[in-house]
Amino acid sequence: MQAEVIDNVKFGIVSPEVVKKLSVVKLNVPDTYNEDGYPIDGGLLDQRLGVIDPGLICKTCGARAKTCPGHFGHIELVRPVIHSEFSKIVYMLLQSTCSACHRILLGNEDVQSLREKSKGIVALEAEELSSEEIAEHKAGETDQKKHAGRSLLKKVRSIKKCPHCSAIQNKIKFSSPTYFYIGDRKLKPDEIRDALAGISNDDLRILGIDPDVSRPEWLVLDALLVPPVNVRPSITLESGERSEDDLTHKLVDIMRINQRLAQNINAGAPQIIIDDLWELLQYHVTAYFNNETSGIPPARHRSGRALKTIAQRLKGKEGRFRYNLSGKRVNYSARTVISVDPYLDIDEVGVPFEIASKLTVPFYVTAWNLEKARELLARTEYPTILNLTSTDGKRKRIIDANREELLKELKAGDILERQLVNGDMVLFNRQPSLHRVSIMAHRVRVLPGKTFRINFCVTPPYNADFDGDEMNLHVPQTLEAQAEAKYLLEVKYQVFSPRDGEAIITNNEDGITGMYFLTQDDTRLTKEEATYILGIAGIYELPAPTKDGTYKGKDIFSLLLPKGLSLDIKTSLGPLRIVDGKLIEGVITKDTYGKGNNKLLLKIGMDYGEDALKDFLFTSSKLSDAYVTFSGITVGVKEYMTDNAIEKARQELLEATFKQVDDKIQQYKARKLESLIGYTKRASLERMIIVDLNIAREKAGEVLIKHVSSKNSAMQMARAGSRGSIFQYEQMSMFLGQQATLSGGRIKRGYYTKRVLPHINPGDVRPSARGFVRTNYYTGLSPIDIFMHAVGSRGSEVYKALLTARSGYLYRRLSNALQDLYVESDLSVRDTGNNLIQTIYGGDGISSINTQFMKLAAKADK
Amino acid sequence: MAKSQQKARDFTVQYSEPVGILAAQSVGEPGTQMILRSFHFAGIESAIATSGLPRIVELVDAKKKPTTPLSTVYLEGAASKDIEQAEKIAKKINEVRMDSLIRRSVENFSKGTIKILLSKQELESEGLTPGQVSDKLAKLLKLDTSVEKNVITVKVHTKNLKDIRLTMVKISKAVINGIEGAGKAVVQTNPKTGEIYIVSAGSNIEGIITVSGIDKSRLYTNDVFAINRLFGIEAARNALARELQATLDEQKISVDFRHLLLIADAMTSTGTIKGVGRHGISGEKNSVFARAAYEETVKHLINAASFGETDHMRGVTENILVGKQIPIGTGSVKLAIKKEDMAKIKPK
Repeated sequence: MQAEVIDNVKFGIVSPEVVKKLSVVKLNVPDTYNEDGYPIDGGLLDQRLGVIDPGLICKTCGARAKTCPGHFGHIELVRPVIHSEFSKIVYMLLQSTCSACHRILLGNEDVQSLREKSKGIVALEAEELSSEEIAEHKAGETDQKKHAGRSLLKKVRSIKKCPHCSAIQNKIKFSSPTYFYIGDRKLKPDEIRDALAGISNDDLRILGIDPDVSRPEWLVLDALLVPPVNVRPSITLESGERSEDDLTHKLVDIMRINQRLAQNINAGAPQIIIDDLWELLQYHVTAYFNNETSGIPPARHRSGRALKTIAQRLKGKEGRFRYNLSGKRVNYSARTVISVDPYLDIDEVGVPFEIASKLTVPFYVTAWNLEKARELLARTEYPTILNLTSTDGKRKRIIDANREELLKELKAGDILERQLVNGDMVLFNRQPSLHRVSIMAHRVRVLPGKTFRINFCVTPPYNADFDGDEMNLHVPQTLEAQAEAKYLLEVKYQVFSPRDGEAIITNNEDGITGMYFLTQDDTRLTKEEATYILGIAGIYELPAPTKDGTYKGKDIFSLLLPKGLSLDIKTSLGPLRIVDGKLIEGVITKDTYGKGNNKLLLKIGMDYGEDALKDFLFTSSKLSDAYVTFSGITVGVKEYMTDNAIEKARQELLEATFKQVDDKIQQYKARKLESLIGYTKRASLERMIIVDLNIAREKAGEVLIKHVSSKNSAMQMARAGSRGSIFQYEQMSMFLGQQATLSGGRIKRGYYTKRVLPHINPGDVRPSARGFVRTNYYTGLSPIDIFMHAVGSRGSEVYKALLTARSGYLYRRLSNALQDLYVESDLSVRDTGNNLIQTIYGGDGISSINTQFMKLAAKADK
Repeated sequence: MAKSQQKARDFTVQYSEPVGILAAQSVGEPGTQMILRSFHFAGIESAIATSGLPRIVELVDAKKKPTTPLSTVYLEGAASKDIEQAEKIAKKINEVRMDSLIRRSVENFSKGTIKILLSKQELESEGLTPGQVSDKLAKLLKLDTSVEKNVITVKVHTKNLKDIRLTMVKISKAVINGIEGAGKAVVQTNPKTGEIYIVSAGSNIEGIITVSGIDKSRLYTNDVFAINRLFGIEAARNALARELQATLDEQKISVDFRHLLLIADAMTSTGTIKGVGRHGISGEKNSVFARAAYEETVKHLINAASFGETDHMRGVTENILVGKQIPIGTGSVKLAIKKEDMAKIKPK
């Protein structure tokens, strides 16, 4: 699809000749429109510079606003000025060349040796290499030369006497942005130009500068190139008032001063006045290039807003490079709120009819599918054709009026734009797109309603939930893109994360609870119950019943497993054994069914392939949902009610911990406390207290496990790994524990006497004085605890904001540094400059997505 | 052939897989999940070391010195079982600086003397006597010292205020015992294997390696630059990947080691340790556009123009900028069909 290919881009400086060649008009009127609202000839919006108003015709190329590319003009400056952005380079060149003979300040020997080094290319050309090979060498070599030249620039600055003409070198001083001095005498731009013009091409090459495209004297400007009006369009406000672009404003400034300077010179004004105006001209040109140049006050609008000049347009996140060039906008996309549909397959996406009838897929008409194309085009209802692009490149919208006519003309080579239908492959994405599984290919399922719908199992890679999240959908427009979507990006290929090879597309939350309940040892279902839930899952067979005519939950689960599957693993709730596709022992929990290092999914994926795995995920999630709906699970305040035993255990635990801490404090006061490595005594005490309090929290969990009934819903969910943890249970029924500050320590600031609240003694380091919350959510927090908890909450909120910013930047830097690396066909890792990074990827050439497979296979081998 | 070996063939990376981007995503994506380094208490070592996101940033930035340098020194032979021998070696490593021993010091400018009162407690815990300290000072700084009880008197032989002050600064910085830059060294026992080793809060492994009785082959520090200086770039590369892994492991974030190795290799492939930011890998890219699109846009464009650089459009960013396919992944292959085969395809 690429019409013309950019092979390389050469950077250089625009020479005065090029300026004259590019320019279509010399501008001399420092204004824009005349009283009639008509662009002034020779003004900054001269119609020869191109047109932007629809209806007008460009005086240079005769084209209208849409097709006229715009043309450059120029301003002739009556006195030269220095291009401020390049003043550092000018400074380096002035320092490294002789002020008398303009030769480089290096002896012939040094020059010779440097020349040898940069000679390489000529020698290569003599050796009859192909032009491609030479180009290859050149690419690498310019880089080397560049570095050799640049380092030389630094070295040469200290030389005091010219080795060629023995002239003594005066030290040149540079003052930002554009002032150069010899002693106290200021160098005028024309003097600088003479000095730069004297440097020979050979000397420039030694310095790593390519004189063909970059003669340094071009950096002293006589003529200023004026960009076309397309680059700086003026906008008409509702009031009919015209508002000019920032660049136009600045150019007006330059031209005004230029004119005044010319008048003063002609009138024979005193030198001081001329110099002042010259400097002012320099300032305006400097601001025109970069309004944030250090050392100049930024030029401002009447409103006080700083002008956005050329450098500001390019720079930063909202600049041309990052915003417009690196960031592309696309057509054929849609965005809406997402919601769940457990009866959609995991690789499907439910697309609202409204969207499906707007989005199109190209249908390339060939001799082979002409019939089908006619059929489609003839349709007046969905799915039909919206647009037709014929071979001459004209695109027509299909309406009932022209349908018949176009049907007759339809021929191979035409491209039809067909409405989206079931089964089309589309890309689905949720921002922030932090990893590659943030964009996956789904099959379209056109549905009524206004939201996109997805299966619950694919939410983890997108990190999506349904509290109002919106997602984007893109329709691939070329056959290549469609093939890539289907064979690389489809959901079924993304079940395992390339980060660590562990399962990322899995059932979760209630889906796990359902499996957990279903596979309990004592789960028995009647025939009605069993057929009901199996029917929902789409399984139309029954396992063998038990003696009393009921069906075991485990046997029902076994129907999901592929034939011949065997697995023998340990889970957090004891061993799990599957023999020949039958669950014999153990309960399904997050370890075997949820996100993470999930051996069951790995095994199915490895031995039965991604289609079997997809089927397992979809069918099992339906079964699980059906069963959990059927059996029910409720979490209410009731789950967190504490009885006397728990309350007593809580008191005892806290007392014991506080006593332990008090002992440490006593030891510290008696100077008997051993300090920890790298800590002062006081910090050691602090650290030890934190550790003790932490142990107390761990113990609180143990207390709960001991005292709370195993039928408690919250406990069951924690055990199944579907939602919540013991730690959260602790916060409800035991105590909240230590509240942390931003720096990760205990809370200690507040009053200047180093106490958090006025009713705490200064210097008190006991848990309660430093943000340890003893109460829990169920009984309610004490006033002091509320305060401490608020301090902790605020801290963690601030930290979260800080962390996302920091980690976002880390990610940007990492991806920028590593994006050019790829695997070569010999499994080595190289960057796009063909530098070798690794001789074999990861030391073994194994893909990161397969590492867990690899481990499982190695285990099976033993 | 064993089954696993057969499988292993299917598990190799595919041609032109963008492994760099995968590595960046694998470390970048879980960045937001890193928790506040709240109260974990895995061990004394992890207690003081920087961890979590700040540590990752520090590593990939190629910071010259870690915020919390640490060295792990394993011991040779019997010392790894014998706590007393280990303590002796630790004493040799443990850096004792004069300022930690001083309780109070008085400079007498009229007499040209400095009186230093040593802390009894500190002396005791370091196992030093005032005499030893005085001798060491005399030897180290070539000073005229004398001892009386806990007070060291230094005669400076000048009444120049500046000289006396400078001498005092030198004294307080003097390393009385152990290895400069080794930090406080403490003997630790591995609870699992029972092996005794030393941890020191400094990264001068160049100094530590000269101490006899240590196992030189297992000497380790979290300072990758120190490892580069002593053991070379390959060791530094391994250490870098290992440190990244340790930091992520501690946060319970599982990332395949291959990604971390790749980051380490990219940072060290030129023979020196380069950071990933604008002063490292990204700032040294060949492409002008790639550099300009990253950071310091104007600077890179200006330099490219001054030197007449050429962008050969080989990288990812450049090609995205001009709207070409990127030369990686599916963009790196072309589909071709022979002319004569083309002729065979005819509609019926």
